[in-house]
Amino acid sequence: MAATYSYMASTKFSMPGWAGGKRSSIRKRVSSLTFCVSAQQQSPVEESQEVRPPPEEDSSSAQQPQKQRLRPVEPQANVKSRNMSREYGGQWLSCATRHVRIYAAYIDPVTSEFDQTQMDKLTLILDPTNEFVWNPETCNKVYAYFQELVDHYEGAPLTEYTLRLIGSDIEHYIRKLLYDGEIKYNMNARVLNFSMGKPRILFNNKTEEDQIQDVQ
Amino acid sequence: MQGRLSAWLVKHGLVHRSLGFDYQGTETLQIKPEDWHSIAVILYVYGYNYLRSQCAYDVAPGGLLASVYHLTRIEYGVDQPEEVCIKVFAPRNNPRIPSVFWVWKSADFQERESYDMLGICYDNHPRLKRILMPESWIGWPLRKDYIAPNFYEIQDAY
Repeated sequence: MAATYSYMASTKFSMPGWAGGKRSSIRKRVSSLTFCVSAQQQSPVEESQEVRPPPEEDSSSAQQPQKQRLRPVEPQANVKSRNMSREYGGQWLSCATRHVRIYAAYIDPVTSEFDQTQMDKLTLILDPTNEFVWNPETCNKVYAYFQELVDHYEGAPLTEYTLRLIGSDIEHYIRKLLYDGEIKYNMNARVLNFSMGKPRILFNNKTEEDQIQDVQ
Repeated sequence: MQGRLSAWLVKHGLVHRSLGFDYQGTETLQIKPEDWHSIAVILYVYGYNYLRSQCAYDVAPGGLLASVYHLTRIEYGVDQPEEVCIKVFAPRNNPRIPSVFWVWKSADFQERESYDMLGICYDNHPRLKRILMPESWIGWPLRKDYIAPNFYEIQDAY
């Protein structure tokens, strides 16, 4: 499966140095956020089953029993690659580790246009080197965890440090998924160095009754 | 036991405390942070024209932070130049030490590094900001009570 997964979420981070008018417009955008999980270069079947804008989610989402609901950013049309303007110091906010790339920008899932001026959104690109075998279910788990973290860090300053905290937590989560056997190493990956530990059999399998006992 | 510079400072009525000599026989003095700028100017006028090194360290958990200056008096035709080591201690909750950038220009990056690693605020430093860590970093990494964040790429460096 040669696919790169990406996910976008709106943030409520505070942006140091932004003018007051700008900040109010961010709040407005956040309050009207809607839904889209997009998978880059993915089959249209999966695309359509994941894009479901739910009706009126603002008030209901707080009391939902299933709290890790995905509420990504709506897909936009005619996105152009734009850099940050000089007014904001041309800053480039990202957190890039091997399996998690987080950008404070809108990245178009189809054309990969990179709009850095939309800093109220975070885009997660999951495992761009295809080290693991992903399916939509495990992807959505990671996306849900990402959404939960973004909500958790609401109000934090939008800096690289915060993005690194989020990215590191997602990496630890991916490692947990790997140890629980939910994702596997992709044996056809270009680089096969097992960066999260060598493959093992039944590493975290606590439910197994007939485990091999330690020799006394 | 009192060194030459300490005797000279006593003669001119300058407040300091002698900390003895280090293993190379270099005189070590402690100076209060509020006196440090004026004494630095006096030492420069005295002839210490070369700041050989500036560093900082955390003395003890919950204790003071120290900023250390090694000064040398460079002259022509001298093969054993006069040296002195100055230590300035600052409290941990509000570490403020006057900058010696305007006396010895070479203190610029060293003081920025001390600020970056230990959070000592050097007053009157022209551009006191982080030099090694990213500018958005939180915390002072070389303090003894610093807890390293659980970053993925730090603990898994392969």
